[in-house]
Amino acid sequence: MNLFTSPDLLISGIIFGLSIGSIFFLMAIGLSLCFGLMRIISLDQLLYYSIGAFITYSVSLVTGSIVLGAIGGTIVAAAAALVVERLVFRRIYDRDITFTMITSFGVLIGGVGLIKAIWGLVPRPVPVPITAQVTMFGTDVPVYRLALVAVALLVYWGIWLFLNRTITGKAIRAGIEDVEHVEGLGINVYRLFTITFVIAGALSGLAGGLYAPLIMVDPHMGLEVLAFVFMVVIIGGLGSIKGTLVSAFLVGQVVSLGSLVYAPLAQMAPFAIMLLILLVKPTGLYGTAFLKR
Amino acid sequence: MKQAFRWWQGLLVAFSLLLVMRVFLPLPFVNEVLLFSIYTIGCNFLLGRVGFISFGQPAYLAVGAYATAFYLYYFGTNPLIGIGWGLVAGVAIALLVGPLFVRLRSDYFALVNLALTVIIFFLMQKVLVEYTKGDNGLWILTRMASTPGIDISSANGFFVFAFIVAFLVWAFYKYLDDSVFGACCMATKMNEVKLKFLGYDDFKIRLLAFVIANTTTALAGSMYAIHVGIVSPEIASPARAADPVVVTILGGVGTLYGPIVGSIAYTGMKDVISKFIGNWELVIGFLLVFIMLAGERGIWGTLEPRLEKLLRRGRNNGEREQPAKVSP
Repeated sequence: MNLFTSPDLLISGIIFGLSIGSIFFLMAIGLSLCFGLMRIISLDQLLYYSIGAFITYSVSLVTGSIVLGAIGGTIVAAAAALVVERLVFRRIYDRDITFTMITSFGVLIGGVGLIKAIWGLVPRPVPVPITAQVTMFGTDVPVYRLALVAVALLVYWGIWLFLNRTITGKAIRAGIEDVEHVEGLGINVYRLFTITFVIAGALSGLAGGLYAPLIMVDPHMGLEVLAFVFMVVIIGGLGSIKGTLVSAFLVGQVVSLGSLVYAPLAQMAPFAIMLLILLVKPTGLYGTAFLKR
Repeated sequence: MKQAFRWWQGLLVAFSLLLVMRVFLPLPFVNEVLLFSIYTIGCNFLLGRVGFISFGQPAYLAVGAYATAFYLYYFGTNPLIGIGWGLVAGVAIALLVGPLFVRLRSDYFALVNLALTVIIFFLMQKVLVEYTKGDNGLWILTRMASTPGIDISSANGFFVFAFIVAFLVWAFYKYLDDSVFGACCMATKMNEVKLKFLGYDDFKIRLLAFVIANTTTALAGSMYAIHVGIVSPEIASPARAADPVVVTILGGVGTLYGPIVGSIAYTGMKDVISKFIGNWELVIGFLLVFIMLAGERGIWGTLEPRLEKLLRRGRNNGEREQPAKVSP
């Protein structure tokens, strides 16, 4: 079947791309925000993603409700992020960026080991909560995938409102520009850091919880999406929220449509695009030149 | 003469200790330590001297390993020529991606390298499945002919070969540390603007450092292929991407003997932990966090200044010589 002669395939491909783009966005936003404000590369976001997925699995097993599971996953992921922030990152904010990156990789690997110890190595299935399909342009489309896109857009809207309409959000935006000036105004920046980190962890947990029904939940799931999330962040530009949204959907489409054209392309094409964009603009689509800390 | 001897004495002592280790510890363990040390010194050089952190070393390791495996599987039987091809492939991939990567900031550099590792992994597992046999891997153990002189297809011969190669690699990196180029590398890490002001091209320096480090990694990969006798995509697994960084930090960033000390500690712990606990990632992850919080200097980074102090005190009491020049 050819992609360009079959509208069915094209439309379902685009919907698939949008839904995984939404997941990429939810995860990448955490990485991006943490980089923007704290100048850390928080690889452990991928751990909160796995935690969210596993809690969703366990809660849905007990209560039978995926929605409850996803909420539980988000809360537990946020709590884990809070603990890690308090115990580890608080001590190392003023260190070099590579330093925090290595530390967060340690947290990620250690957390994966912890998940292995609790849930074991066997991949777990999670049932899809909404099995209904709607007809769009003459093609049957799963409603759950559309719901994912809606959630991602809602989160983007919520983040936008938070950053532009609340005083805390404004302080965070100011902190992204110049953290020392914010500190000079008498605002406790470490509280801002904690809030941002917990929000990032919660969103990663939400991503894991929402994506769990579409894949098998296993301890290495974070490492599998690692490369894609990185590509999203790099293409969008570290620290830019709008760029993250754009590049998440871009990468989602490239993965989805690329795999329809030629299966192995799914993994290769985003990399090629990333290289091209970095060649033209080394800071990513919406990234700014090195922000001084 | 005395000066020349002093230059070599650290290396000689370190490698004599490795030889002593060979007597007490099983051969596979020592071989693995040697390979891991060569694997790590590239990462150590990049992180300690040039200031680039790379989570993508498995990519270059896999390129070297696969170049060797392809040669031995499809074309010839001489493992030495296979290693030669591994080196060529290492230089080629470094020259291919280097000009693009070294322009990037350190944080982007790490992410891009990690992405490259994932790509190489999928390339070997899925895209080139016709040639690489996918997850089954390329079995080359029985296809290797014995080489004249040192028979590197046997475990004992391989130890001698790896030992000599490691010694040469360390001598080379010690030479680099002392050379103007090594100083320039340090300068790109510390103060890029001043380096440019002095008239050096920082892009060229970084590219050369990148090529040197990753060719060393590819060399480790091709030696690994010959040692194990099978190459599968697992070698480029992103889950192992942290290994060289962990060993570098465990041993001590930017120290010459850090990779050896780190490799011994890491390989030893891996053997012990997987024997008793089985959950390898849990331990290594929290160990990494602990080392980072405790002071990031690593085992050798903590030991070296004390050892130097001790040596100097002994020397001053005895012959009243000039103190040896302390390396930065």
